Amino acid sequence: MARFAGGKAPFVRASEEKDYGTKVIMRDVMIALLPVILFSWYKNGIQVYIDGNIGLLEMFYPLFFILIGGFLSVLMEGIFYFVTDKENRSIKGVMQKLSLSFPAIPGLILALLLPLYTPIWVLIFAAFIATIIGKMIFGGFGHNVFNPALLGYAVVGFTLMGVINNAGGLFNASEAVVDAYAGATPLGKLASSGQINYDTLVAPYGSLWDFFIGTIPGALGETSALAILFGGLYLVIRKVIKWYTPVIYVGTIFVLSWIIGAVTGDAGLWFPAYSILSGGVMFAAVFMITEPVTTPTNVLGKVFFALFLGVFTVLFRFVGSLPEGVGTSLIFMNIFTLPIDKFTAVIRTKRFKKPGGLYLGILTGLLVILAVYTLVKAGAMYTVYIPFLGWVI
Amino acid sequence: MIFQKAKGIHIEGRKEACKKIPIKDYLSPKYVYIPLLQRATNLKAEVSVGDEVKIGQLVATNEQQMNIRVHASISGKVTGIKKAWHSSGKMVDSIEIENDFKNQLIETIKKEENVDSLTREQLIKKMELAGITGLGGAGFPTHIKYKTKAKIDAVIINAIECEPYLTCDFHFITKYPEKLLKGATYFMRAADAQKVVVAYKTYNYQIREALQPYLSKFPHVELHPIKNIYPAGWEKYIVEQVTKKTYNGLPAEAGVIVNNSATAITFCDAVEMNIPLIARPVSINGEGINHPSSFYVPIGTKVSELVELCGGYVKGLDPLKYNYIAGGPMTGRAIFIDDLIVNDTLGAVIVKKASEGVYPECLGCGKCADVCPVYLTPTEIKKAFERKDVKLLGDLNANKCVECGLCSYICPSHIEITEAVAKGKDLLRKGAK
Ligand code: SF4
Ligand code: SF4
Repeated sequence: MARFAGGKAPFVRASEEKDYGTKVIMRDVMIALLPVILFSWYKNGIQVYIDGNIGLLEMFYPLFFILIGGFLSVLMEGIFYFVTDKENRSIKGVMQKLSLSFPAIPGLILALLLPLYTPIWVLIFAAFIATIIGKMIFGGFGHNVFNPALLGYAVVGFTLMGVINNAGGLFNASEAVVDAYAGATPLGKLASSGQINYDTLVAPYGSLWDFFIGTIPGALGETSALAILFGGLYLVIRKVIKWYTPVIYVGTIFVLSWIIGAVTGDAGLWFPAYSILSGGVMFAAVFMITEPVTTPTNVLGKVFFALFLGVFTVLFRFVGSLPEGVGTSLIFMNIFTLPIDKFTAVIRTKRFKKPGGLYLGILTGLLVILAVYTLVKAGAMYTVYIPFLGWVI
Repeated sequence: MIFQKAKGIHIEGRKEACKKIPIKDYLSPKYVYIPLLQRATNLKAEVSVGDEVKIGQLVATNEQQMNIRVHASISGKVTGIKKAWHSSGKMVDSIEIENDFKNQLIETIKKEENVDSLTREQLIKKMELAGITGLGGAGFPTHIKYKTKAKIDAVIINAIECEPYLTCDFHFITKYPEKLLKGATYFMRAADAQKVVVAYKTYNYQIREALQPYLSKFPHVELHPIKNIYPAGWEKYIVEQVTKKTYNGLPAEAGVIVNNSATAITFCDAVEMNIPLIARPVSINGEGINHPSSFYVPIGTKVSELVELCGGYVKGLDPLKYNYIAGGPMTGRAIFIDDLIVNDTLGAVIVKKASEGVYPECLGCGKCADVCPVYLTPTEIKKAFERKDVKLLGDLNANKCVECGLCSYICPSHIEITEAVAKGKDLLRKGAK
């Protein structure tokens, strides 16, 4: 007779097979970031070098900056583990923990959210907020409430934007010399002018095609919808993300912006297209609202999350006149991930029976009210008189 | 997509090693241990130490609860009541019988003359007296199912065996195709139904080949191929596939009764020869076994003897790094000591590498909720269990979990999510009382 090992059914696990598991998922996320990183390097380094505006060494700077971001968050997480693990403090233990917490991703994404000329010390500060405050204090991988990278970015965005702008801001060397931009990103212009006008919002940067390809000013990773779509497609094929989360999010913004555009003046499809192609909507759609830890787990939750987020993004853009509609709304919605998960899970199991129907009603009701409010508010911001909406307000 | 129909998933079968080797009879072990436990019901021994028993003699009963009857599986002398490891994961009092190798049958085991004129009641009585239970794993006394008041249209024979590594049903069917069809027909008569549907996996096309030649004699039997996925062998799944109807409590609501294929074969013997349930097929399989194979053995046989017949464990096997699993790998139980006995629900013993390695935390990917065949949300049930929130567990239908194991199977972070849901289910049951 022999004593055998214990264990719990099932005794066959997909995660014990090759090429499946959380590590593979996280590796896939990094692979998906690759086109974005490469485009960013091309746009902010290689192209600028070809234009003759920077030297050879400086050409590598964007790539270097992004990698530094990844490296910083690994380093900080490692130090955190080393400092907090009082009992068995060892390099090996730290390495093992790091291998289970995928530390590079927040740093990489953080760097991609920042403008090219962000001073390195700002990056270090942001990485600290992201990794230590945003992730480790919450209990590490799997427990964080806020998207770490976004938290780091938001804190820096609110407190140190001036520093970043003084250092060169959102423009790479080629862009900085073009007067036509008049010193603002497309979305910044919308916020400052409040006018929906093709000639001021799109024309200075070229056409919507440039928006799609990504040759417009903006943070390192956010400008190229094309590169992001490549990454997103890969993630969908690898079953890391669900295709409908980004689609619903982008779709909501598209529809709401289209209505706003239509009721306030220039009724063209260019405005909704412009709305989804600027301000990091695409990047958030593919890489941030699909981030599993900080967004709802079940399918229905993901759907509601994306819908709410889309509405909030538009609301914050027009109502708060913040150019950062995307980031603010996502951080805001992160708070509601847990309740959304809980209520949608009940809806999933109970359908329209008590209390599923009730929850479904509440969620849908809230969503509709918010959407209407957003439209009304956004409409009221503009000078065009809308009899009915005016009456409602 | 949101309220998606669970489609089940393909899990590698790992059956080939064991499928190639034909099933062997191993009918005369030196000792058998008849457990005084069936499902969760304790039984009373009807024999005392020193008694001589014959094959088929009643040795244990529980008349209060569904009239469970257990019979001697070999002839010989009752030598004691001993504790033995049982597939429920516990040590259970068992009647030890020492084989006298005379194979004496009890007088009631004889050919039934008027098989064709047996009425529905008589057939059900036979089921009850023969102590037939579901051999698929649930072990539910079969006669209870047939005492239904509902109108039954069809009897479905579950020949699916969807868990990886399991092959004993496959072997049993291909060895006794005609008995299967006969047994199924008696079931049909016992239910006053019009037809029999044999549901099998397309992957096990050999089952079709084995049954086909007899079908002309059994015109009321239909073969129903089912996709090679897990959990295709789950009763509700089969009923939905075959009848396109669903149900909440029992399959009878959809006008069907489902029986395992091995049960049908056993029932055939019970009707024609009055042989009670005393033997069953078992597979011994897994990477830890030298020559995996299947056996037809008396209930109460020690699994260790079967492992010996398979050439023992692989050389240099470190038991502490291996699992010894009673039942299928998806729903079975790890047994610590390899001193298990074969009971009525034990279809397999699998010796395979235990999982090792460390895994990340739950990342909230939602894959567990995506695969759940009853559309539960395991992560939320886990959280509700951790907060001991009984009401929420109810809202999340934790009681509906069939413990199929898919959520843990698919989890990329190797979370014991099935266990967590099962605990939630338990808490709900206790809390609701
Ligand atoms: S074990 Fe339960 S919760 Fe998990 S997939 Fe199966 S039925 Fe769903
Ligand atoms: S328990 Fe596993 S499958 Fe379910 S959400 Fe967590 S990581 Fe994903």
